[in-house]
Amino acid sequence: MMKQETVEVNAGYLIILTLIAISIGGLVEIVPLFYVEGTIEEVKTADGKDAVRPYTPLEQLGRDLYTKEGCYTCHSQMIRPFRDEALRFGHYSLAAESQYDHPFQWGSMRRGPDLARVGGKYSSAWQAKHLNDPRDVVPESIMPGYPWLRSNDLDYSDIVAKMTTLRKVGVPYSDDDAGYQANVEKFGEKVAKTLDINKAEDNIMLQAKKGNYDGDPSRLTEMDALIAYLQVLGTMVDFNQYDEKYFIDFR
Amino acid sequence: MAHSTVGSLEQYNYDIVKKFTIMAIFWGIAGMTTGVYIASELAWPFLNFDTAQITFGRLRPLHTSGVIFGFGGNALFATSYYVVQRTSQARLWGGSLWPNITFYGWNIAIALAGMGYLMGITQGREYAEPEWYIDILIAIVWLIYFVIYTMTLLRRNQPHIYVANWFFMSFILATALLHIFNNLAVPLSFTDTKSYSLFSGAQDAMTQWWYGHNAVGFFLTAAFLGMMYYFVPKQAGRPVYSYRLSVVHFWALSFMYMWVGTHHLHWTAIPDWTSSLAAVFSILLLMPSWGGMINGIMTLSGAWDKLRTDPIMMFMITSLSFYGMSTFEGPMMALKSVNALSHYTDWTVGHVHSGALGWVAMISIASFYHMIPRLWNTTMHSVKLIYTHFFLATIGILLYITALWVSGIGQGLMLRAFDDYGNLKYSFIETVVFMHGPLVARAVGGLFFVTGMLIMAYNVYKTISNAKNNPRIPTNSATAA
Amino acid sequence: MSKVYKDPITGVETTGHVWDDTLMEFNNPLPMWWIWTFYATVIFAIVYWVIYPSWPSGLVEKGYFIGTSEITYQNTDKKGTTTAQTTHWNTRALLAYEMQNDENELKRKKYLKEVAAMSYDDIAKDSDKSSFVRSYGKGIFGDYCAACHQTGGQGVIGHYPNLVDDAWLWGGSAAEIQKTISDGRKGNMPSFAKTLSDTEITNVANFVLSLSGTEHDVASAKEGKLIFNGKGGCMACHTPAGTGLAALGSANLTDKIWTQADVPHAKDKVAVVSAVVKSGIQREMPTWKTRLSEDEIKVLVAYVKLLSAE
Ligand code: HEC
Ligand code: HEC
Ligand code: HEC
Ligand code: HEM
Ligand code: HEM
Ligand SMILES: [Ca+2]
Ligand SMILES: [Ca+2]
Ligand SMILES: [Cu+2]
Repeated sequence: MMKQETVEVNAGYLIILTLIAISIGGLVEIVPLFYVEGTIEEVKTADGKDAVRPYTPLEQLGRDLYTKEGCYTCHSQMIRPFRDEALRFGHYSLAAESQYDHPFQWGSMRRGPDLARVGGKYSSAWQAKHLNDPRDVVPESIMPGYPWLRSNDLDYSDIVAKMTTLRKVGVPYSDDDAGYQANVEKFGEKVAKTLDINKAEDNIMLQAKKGNYDGDPSRLTEMDALIAYLQVLGTMVDFNQYDEKYFIDFR
Repeated sequence: MAHSTVGSLEQYNYDIVKKFTIMAIFWGIAGMTTGVYIASELAWPFLNFDTAQITFGRLRPLHTSGVIFGFGGNALFATSYYVVQRTSQARLWGGSLWPNITFYGWNIAIALAGMGYLMGITQGREYAEPEWYIDILIAIVWLIYFVIYTMTLLRRNQPHIYVANWFFMSFILATALLHIFNNLAVPLSFTDTKSYSLFSGAQDAMTQWWYGHNAVGFFLTAAFLGMMYYFVPKQAGRPVYSYRLSVVHFWALSFMYMWVGTHHLHWTAIPDWTSSLAAVFSILLLMPSWGGMINGIMTLSGAWDKLRTDPIMMFMITSLSFYGMSTFEGPMMALKSVNALSHYTDWTVGHVHSGALGWVAMISIASFYHMIPRLWNTTMHSVKLIYTHFFLATIGILLYITALWVSGIGQGLMLRAFDDYGNLKYSFIETVVFMHGPLVARAVGGLFFVTGMLIMAYNVYKTISNAKNNPRIPTNSATAA
Repeated sequence: MSKVYKDPITGVETTGHVWDDTLMEFNNPLPMWWIWTFYATVIFAIVYWVIYPSWPSGLVEKGYFIGTSEITYQNTDKKGTTTAQTTHWNTRALLAYEMQNDENELKRKKYLKEVAAMSYDDIAKDSDKSSFVRSYGKGIFGDYCAACHQTGGQGVIGHYPNLVDDAWLWGGSAAEIQKTISDGRKGNMPSFAKTLSDTEITNVANFVLSLSGTEHDVASAKEGKLIFNGKGGCMACHTPAGTGLAALGSANLTDKIWTQADVPHAKDKVAVVSAVVKSGIQREMPTWKTRLSEDEIKVLVAYVKLLSAE
């Protein structure tokens, strides 16, 4: 056996042995997650498509604003399987639900409520009002106001670069016909259309117009994007379709 | 075997140590003032002033990076360069160029990262917020740091590598490993600040907390143990209590820390077995962690008499106590059942600061008070002010931690409280209202601590300018023993 | 290292190495209490390890090498058949188990069922049941509804209707409230900025104020009445009498209760009403049936009724 004495008089041994000591834990815990089946649950809709889809370009831009503003410093997006959280926030979060999240935004603090299922909980008008000045609607709130979201026009000039980069890290946005067809297969035609990089700008306009998230149809603002993102959170999986056992079996 | 050549001033590169020390104090004050500000924002939200750059979400990373990498990082560079030279009795490798590159590189990286946060440039992952180009800069600086450190060790005039250096080495290696893997990301282009992390969802979470915990484990613990292993015996003038203990706990810490990251992800959507492993290793970490505390406290206790009269020793013993406390609290919080309550609440933040203020800041402050007179070859301007600093810091921490226990445990209990009918007893916003009082107290506690830091800055400033005005005979060997 | 080095002060053995003039190390053994406590943590760790899932194993399907805890819960599949399922310990099964076995939760469910089966009148008469309703409502209303309707249900004039007064846009019967909460509502009144001139709007506003006996310019109101029932077409939604139609969610303009125009607090009451007419109203009450079960919504209805009765 190697003695401490040897390590202590030889910097090379010290370095190598320390490297070995610190490498094992991470390897054992992280590597299997990429391989062990069931880390990410399989969630299909009734017609066999993937329930969880990548974000539309507008939602993705909203998500980028969410990280930019540091909402994760106050809000978690990870409902734990507890009775109180089930009653307060809804069904526990699945790993599948954040599978297209680069980076993940599960968060580690709850200065404010969990947002994993905030989509559809309030009207967009409420969201806009709340983001503009939270104390307008919740007098006791300690959340900062974000009035500039309403006055800043949304910058979507880099949307193609963004989607292309996300594609590189594994998000199935399509930029050619083959990719598009694969998405039709995987997500259905309606969703596949929104994932087409070539149509990104049109899709942004279309969704913003239809959603009118900030209440001002004449402008496309950062508020539109952020609320579009908030409104999709936690809405992709219809939990009525599954029994208890289904998700338990993945664990 | 003992080499007792007295180190002459020219023998060592003190210039670089001085620079890092001063920057550590600068970042300490800047980062902690930001801490007080964000603490106040939580108590009085109007302080966000509807101004993007200073909202809580953007300032918080400025605080965490400022104190961990600015204050902690500079303190570690300073002390590790000081310690490796003195315990190797060799001048720092790399002339003045390479060490200076680490100095400017590191500080520019932090300044750039900080300015980026204010403008909303962030990767949005805790403690790894700097964007890809800063990450690359940091990786380069770190590589140079590793080379300087190793080369200096190889130059040593001393057959044995002193225990402090094992810890510093372990910290340098682990930080490199963690930093590089956790920051794997693809930028939009080489001229764009934005990037997307390589991993997503559950895997991203795992990598992030593998990194995040070990930012704690190696950056905020192992490295500061290295600091402790030099400055505590030096200040006490007594031998380290147990060499064998230091061997055992060094290897145990290095090995086990890397397993526990998942205790930040208990009950989440990651597979349960990883979280079970993390809990197990967290418990196993208790005694290896305490090895450092025992070695420190028992070393100090060889000089009980000084403990009452030397404010530096008071800082040291207090920091070791907080170290012991937070490494006891940590494993408790790593148990699934406790974590169910503590996670997402201020209890975590209280735990963080009993480690960060109690241990990290206190041991650094003690080391500075020890090191500064030696670097500038003088004595501290005022010992009384060191006492004042000590009391302000201690009161500040106690207020901080107690307030957050109340707020964290209180919120945790309220959120899971059910009334007689089994219904939720409180709505979320009621917990926000409840936390107002403790959050005010925490801000006040932070203010105490910062005031202490300002006093230290003044004291150090006076010390340095006195030294420049009337140089003295070297006091190195006279005060050390 | 055969030679033994001693610390001159205490006489305790050191390793004999000296760094930086004075740094030395005692060769003390590990403290016994340290060793024993470490062993204790090892034992604790092993027990913990054995209880919870510890290593994924490909050998047994979804099995773990170690990890002995099991959880049995009831699973109701899509066909409605309930079977007991036993699985290795995991957080999800634990929740399922708790939801089915926790005493508190069972009690909650029992009450929920009972209340759901009762008529609203009976609930109001039964003090135990109505305090359940109050208890349920407080938490859920606080987390789901108070963001808009505020903690006491008093709403925000101009944005979110008051639920504690007697006025209902969409009708105050239990069935109507149930539908409001379950499906959500979209309040919709067109903007008249383009169809009516400013004077016409002022006139119609004066008429609206007259409906509830609020101070107004009589002459102007007279003109306004014609617009209300003619060019404006207000009567189509608000009825010629101005009492509103629950089917459309149009406001009753004859009561002194306002949801959108903040008449009671306004100095210039005509201006406030004019503004509403000019801009119209588009607002939305979210759907809750995707989040709450029918029974839960029923209890909320009872809660809202309790609120407004108080
Ligand atoms: C200083 C902490 C803080 C920050 C930063 C913050 N929030 Fe909040 N948030 C809160 C608190 C506290 C509440 C609960 C009170 C309320 O509704 O305002 C809340 C509530 C919310 C809600 C309503 C959730 C619910 O279910 O009722 C949403 C949506 C929300 N925040 C979104 C955001 C977004 C988006 C950002 C970033 C742009 C953000 N928050 C930043 C503290 C914060
Ligand atoms: C996003 C904001 C919002 C939330 C959250 C919300 N409401 Fe509403 N609610 C509204 C608005 C806006 C209206 C008025 C709709 C209209 O004018 O047609 C309304 C109307 C109602 C009405 C009808 C009032 C009337 O006069 O007819 C009832 C009852 C009601 N809400 C109950 C609830 C309950 C119970 C909840 C929680 C489960 C809730 N609301 C949550 C916004 C909200
Ligand atoms: C298409 C239907 C429709 C028409 C036409 C219409 N209203 Fe309304 N009106 C509504 C509805 C619906 C509301 C309630 C909206 C809500 O509360 O969400 C309302 C509310 C109001 C209110 C606010 C009442 C309050 O409590 O604050 C006023 C004032 C009003 N209407 C006046 C008018 C006048 C004057 C006209 C004609 C010039 C008119 N309305 C035409 C549907 C209509
Ligand atoms: C005057 C001293 C300080 C004050 C007032 C202060 C205040 C704060 C506040 C208000 C937060 C945000 C907590 C939240 O999200 O609710 C925070 C977070 C944090 N601080 Fe400090 N801080 C101080 C010193 C330090 C020091 C010296 C360090 C490290 C060396 C440190 C490390 C951290 C870390 C790591 C976090 C993140 C905690 C988490 O995510 O759980 N702080 N601090
Ligand atoms: C054996 C030692 C320790 C263990 C096992 C441990 C364990 C834990 C646990 C379980 C959490 C809570 C995770 C969560 O619920 O989100 C935590 C958070 C934290 N601890 Fe420790 N801890 C230890 C020592 C320390 C020390 C000495 C520090 C020093 C500075 C420290 C700094 C932190 C920080 C910064 C966080 C917050 C991370 C975040 O959520 O942002 N810990 N620790
Ligand atoms: Ca818009
Ligand atoms: Ca980074
Ligand atoms: Cu940790």
